[in-house]
Amino acid sequence: MTSIAGGSGASGRAETMGVWFVVKKTLRKPQFWFGFTMIVPLLIWYWIFSFWPIIQAFRMSTVAYKLLDPTNSPFVGIGNFLKISQHPLFLVSVKNTILWAVYSFIFHLPLAMLIAVFLSKVRRGRNVYQALIFVPVVVSLVAVSLLFKMLMDPEVGQLNKLLSGVGLPELQWLSSSSSALPTAVIIATWKGLGFYVVILTAGMMNIPSELYDAALVDGTNPWQQFWRITMPLMGHTILLITVLLAIGSLQEFTLPTVLFGSEGGPGNSTYLYNMLIYQEAFLDIRFGTATAASLLQFAFILAISILQIKLIRPSWSY
Amino acid sequence: MAVISEARPARRRLPRRILISQGLIQIFLIGMVVVAIFPFIWMIFASLKPFKELVESRALLPETWTLRNYEEILGRVNFVAAFRNSIVSAVSVTVVSVFTSSVMGYIFSKYRFVGKEVLFTIILSTMMVPFAVIMVPLYITIANSFGLADHLGGIIITGFYTAFGIFLMRQFMESIPFELIDAARIDGASEWRIFFTLVLPMSLSPMSALAVFVYLFNWDSFLWPLIVLNSQDNQTLPLVLAGLRNLWWTRYEMWAAGSMLTVVPVMVIYSFASRYFIRGIAMTGLKA
Repeated sequence: MTSIAGGSGASGRAETMGVWFVVKKTLRKPQFWFGFTMIVPLLIWYWIFSFWPIIQAFRMSTVAYKLLDPTNSPFVGIGNFLKISQHPLFLVSVKNTILWAVYSFIFHLPLAMLIAVFLSKVRRGRNVYQALIFVPVVVSLVAVSLLFKMLMDPEVGQLNKLLSGVGLPELQWLSSSSSALPTAVIIATWKGLGFYVVILTAGMMNIPSELYDAALVDGTNPWQQFWRITMPLMGHTILLITVLLAIGSLQEFTLPTVLFGSEGGPGNSTYLYNMLIYQEAFLDIRFGTATAASLLQFAFILAISILQIKLIRPSWSY
Repeated sequence: MAVISEARPARRRLPRRILISQGLIQIFLIGMVVVAIFPFIWMIFASLKPFKELVESRALLPETWTLRNYEEILGRVNFVAAFRNSIVSAVSVTVVSVFTSSVMGYIFSKYRFVGKEVLFTIILSTMMVPFAVIMVPLYITIANSFGLADHLGGIIITGFYTAFGIFLMRQFMESIPFELIDAARIDGASEWRIFFTLVLPMSLSPMSALAVFVYLFNWDSFLWPLIVLNSQDNQTLPLVLAGLRNLWWTRYEMWAAGSMLTVVPVMVIYSFASRYFIRGIAMTGLKA
């Protein structure tokens, strides 16, 4: 295959003969045919279902897309971007999405770290605990949404019955505009925590135990061991988790949609950015502005990821 | 593992300080397990209660046990079709993409050709593009060029390759020695034979990890099926389940029964295969 690209030169008969020889030799190799039959479908698939849609997205964001006559859609430049930024729910959804991501970090990271530390330290039953804590990850997110909507019903839900049973004031949970968003993130945390716990525990079990033995000999307490050994050596894993959390929470869609429908929460309080894109695209059928909105999201997520990698990436590894 | 086997012989003579800290850790973990499991326990019993009792009673166990909810929901909603759709799409996407990822992982780690690194980098970088960016053009392609609107094929065909899977398998296959493959070639084995009888058997554990990952993701997939599948008979389980909310606005016992129908089969599989699930996630975390 090497020679196919470089064989066009007219620099002498001998060389063309050489090139022809290499081509013939390559064609006779079984590796060539195996690679060829595997790479060609990959290229076709990636072109149709990945590269071409991405290219199309950039083109669509600059036109007022006509559904019935797409090729004649008028060019509007950055018009779609201006239009989406003036959408009445644009700022609300951006604010909610950022809040969602912030709450996600606050609820996920410390708790997942704590559970992982205990799981890596426990001497009996680690596998059973891990398997049970992981259960919510396996279960369908839609079932989880329905389940918690039932449990958190302010009138008849089990959680408020539990609270009033022990003499605590009942909460509004998902039904008030001030508590709906954090409550929804709590549900997301309940569902997703096991995933991060497993990754973190695996990382911690990978730290050589000699390091802790040495630290013990030096008379350190568990607190110091955590901050001086566990945290620095977990740098890569924590970076992975923060990037995954950011990418996931900035694209959240399913949970708030199933909990509240496509308008999101009381008073739009859980209306997220992806719900705005979905509404623009498939409910209001404005493909141009929807794609423009999604490109803004792309740029934002890219910037956040790069920032995280720059900030958190450990300067060394083991 | 090492910790457990070291701890066993010495268990009797554990110092009190460690006993106390281990006890506290056990209590904490049991608490976490209760938080993770209790909602499901509640759901099991809620699905067996009549509506009136679910709303009024504070007790966990039903006073009158009933299967009426299940009868009613199976009569009104085509859960069997939803099941079939979910299983067909998740299983075929998993099988195909684990195969393509293994082949491409092998080729990207063991073959040399012009533009290999460029192609790999481009494929990897598509992972960074949020799904929202391509969902509209992808839908137009699926609907107009392939005629797969409201067809399960539209869900399946878009899952044939995964950049993450190719990356994961390449990471792993870098560690397979060249000498092994060359030896097989000298012995006259065809490339297909080398791949299926030499490379694949060595890669079973990352393949099972990837399979778990892809399967979980597709079983739970919501946004893309929501866009592609419109008619109820073609919808997957998450969509049908979400539809219960509109069908029975506040009849929680029906929600519970519907959720049970979706959750139980997964739980049965999980109770046998939980080790593979957890190892799969742990391994992807360490390799990525």
